Amino acid sequence: MPHRIINWIDQRFPLTSFVKHELTGYPTPRNLSYWWNFGFLAGFVLMLQVATGIFLAMHYKADIAMSFDSIQHIMRDVNYGWLLRYLHSTGASAFFFVIFIHMARTLYYGSYRAPRELLWWTGQGLLLLLMGTAFMGYLLPWGQMSFWGATVITNLFRATPFIGDQVVIWLRGDYTVGDATLTRFFALHYLFPFLIIGAVIVHLVALHTVKSSNPSGINLQDKDNIPFHPYFTIKDLYGLGLFLMLYSVFVFFMPDSLIEPANNIPANPMVTPNHIVPEWYFLPFYAILRSVPNMVGGVVAMGVSVLIFAFMPYLDRSRIPGGAHYRPMFRGLFYFFAIDMGVLGYIGYIPPTEQSILIGQVATFIYFTLFLILPFLSKFEERWLMKRGLTPEIEALIASEAKEISEKSKKRSKR
Amino acid sequence: MNKFMMVLASCCLAASALASEVKLDTVKVGIDKPTVGRGVEAMMTDCHSCHSMKYIKYRDLLSLGVDKKKVDEWRGDQPMDAALMAQMPEADAMAAYGSAPPDLSLMAKAREGGANYVYSYLLGYYTTPDGTTHNHIFPATKMPDILGMSNAKEAAERTAIQGKARDIVSYLVWASDPHAQERQSLGYYVMGYLFVLTLMLYFVKNQIWAKLK
Amino acid sequence: MVTEALNDGDRRNFLIKLTSVVGGAGVAATCVPFVASMNPSSDVLAKAETEVDLTHITLGGMHTVAWQGKPVFILHRTPEQIKASAESNGGLQPEADSKRVQKPEWLVVIGVCTHMGCVPNKEGPGWECHCHGSQYDDSGRVIRGPAPKNLEVPPYHFVADNKIVIGKA
Repeated sequence: MPHRIINWIDQRFPLTSFVKHELTGYPTPRNLSYWWNFGFLAGFVLMLQVATGIFLAMHYKADIAMSFDSIQHIMRDVNYGWLLRYLHSTGASAFFFVIFIHMARTLYYGSYRAPRELLWWTGQGLLLLLMGTAFMGYLLPWGQMSFWGATVITNLFRATPFIGDQVVIWLRGDYTVGDATLTRFFALHYLFPFLIIGAVIVHLVALHTVKSSNPSGINLQDKDNIPFHPYFTIKDLYGLGLFLMLYSVFVFFMPDSLIEPANNIPANPMVTPNHIVPEWYFLPFYAILRSVPNMVGGVVAMGVSVLIFAFMPYLDRSRIPGGAHYRPMFRGLFYFFAIDMGVLGYIGYIPPTEQSILIGQVATFIYFTLFLILPFLSKFEERWLMKRGLTPEIEALIASEAKEISEKSKKRSKR
Repeated sequence: MNKFMMVLASCCLAASALASEVKLDTVKVGIDKPTVGRGVEAMMTDCHSCHSMKYIKYRDLLSLGVDKKKVDEWRGDQPMDAALMAQMPEADAMAAYGSAPPDLSLMAKAREGGANYVYSYLLGYYTTPDGTTHNHIFPATKMPDILGMSNAKEAAERTAIQGKARDIVSYLVWASDPHAQERQSLGYYVMGYLFVLTLMLYFVKNQIWAKLK
Repeated sequence: MVTEALNDGDRRNFLIKLTSVVGGAGVAATCVPFVASMNPSSDVLAKAETEVDLTHITLGGMHTVAWQGKPVFILHRTPEQIKASAESNGGLQPEADSKRVQKPEWLVVIGVCTHMGCVPNKEGPGWECHCHGSQYDDSGRVIRGPAPKNLEVPPYHFVADNKIVIGKA
């Protein structure tokens, strides 16, 4: 009977062939390391956030007179409301944690390089959507940090040329962050995840067109691929188990460590807390904003610091395969960048002092400089590696790729 | 890549290690019913004339194991479902102290340092030679020294006040997150389950991948 | 591509089966908090009891109170109404009047038509539901359809001669 149903569907819709080509039988490089687990994990956290979010929305009230109380209602009265809320608030941090590692892997292994530019750019779009969703969601509890975070971030749009002040008022629907702001943020916070799901589908279509990259940095020959199922389904599930253990430690034992104490005080437009900080995942970018003494300059620098990743396919001009794995200079740059991000995050967290501002400015300078020297450094590194003589390992990789390319072009010319 | 993770982890630790500037006393919060129950009584007699706890209801006190007779006495003719409001109207408090006494339902979570902050604050009163009383944790406070720490000279007296402050803080910690104990005990089951499941997935993974070699 | 997938021997593999069962149990358990969160929350449950003072209801008069958000009719029945109710056994769902009241002069029923949930109106002897024309007598028993059942009697008890608590028997 199930067989007949599937036959009936297959005559009308390519179900079996889709599952076979794109899911179970999707050819995947056999040498993927555990760093390739994080795309799946991001998808999982997305689903988790959507599920917990929908159930929370059944109890939440988007009204400045009621939203703080409704969160307490969820935490105290709703059956397992505390669990849903902590899953959701911890899930936001988990999402960025997973996405940052996913991005770091892409940068380290040079997975953004041709032909994967579009894959990388759709990922960039997803990051922006995720940041927007997280930011709007943070207003909803209507605590002090929610309110002042939203106030500061909407004020960034004052940097818009000529009509800055009007844009800010338009965004808020009020002269300050108010009831109109809260209600629209709730509407958009509910909408954006579905845009994210749409963008994820585009991201996956792009992935399945160019196939997964792999630690060797070149497109593997067909014999080195294995079907996604069962090999990577089980590997992803095993990784999911490890991830869930870490996630559960936060959800069940230290959920408040990810919530600022001041957000347990209802929003008060008359009093700003002494020390306002964004969520940890925005800290490096926030530090860049603070480091530029000019308002418009700071906003532009912060925007560019996020968008600059999109230029990576063109900034990295090296043709040596294998990302940072076979490229000592690029590897050094990667780690230097990671440390710089850490420094910026720390500077974004502590209250500004003369000294911390100076450190932040140096770190900001380094942040952009690393991107700007990359074209020259990657070209120089390539020449240096060629002159020194490539290791047989890399030679073999390049040769096998050249062979594959010539075979493909032969096939194409035959057609 | 592994080095990168190490750097990330150490940055997270460094960020969380940053506490507030004032040195706080640490309090060992009690979760047992007698301690929390004593905290309820202390709050009822010493705090509720000015402070409210609007997210706590009289029926919640019953579930804490407080004697029903006492609860009935406190609530008077209010229903069991009524919230613990301040006896003094907010306007009167404003007139008397110049600022509205904050609601205490979430106080144990709402300050940097949490329970330690509240504990240190309650005990942080001292008297200067000119006879005025101040608080070194929150110098701008309008609240009088309710527990009497600034006048306590003898060690026994001070110990008793510390005990009372601990009871109050234990109750406030419970009030800020009534499901905390339920959450933690569920957490142990979840962790145990995930450990077993992940171990099994690991073996299955090895079994499936073994066929490739 | 290397295409050796799971063969039949593996599909019967005990370890994989056991892991699937354990994993499936976890997924099922995860659904519990989500489903439970849609049940009435503790503050709603706390409102499950309503206390009613009966002294103000005149003889022959009816009073409607809300219990769990639903209307409850409290009818202070006259001796004639009591007599008429006791003599009849109702219509579509025969039931003795004595089984539906604790004290004959007080009838307590949930004022929700057993057909489609409208609130019937007090008209003449008994109630009539204007949605679809069902009729009930002074014991709340259905005497004309389409309603299939008598008006439900909520759990209640007398805490004093003139005071009842609806919600707990």
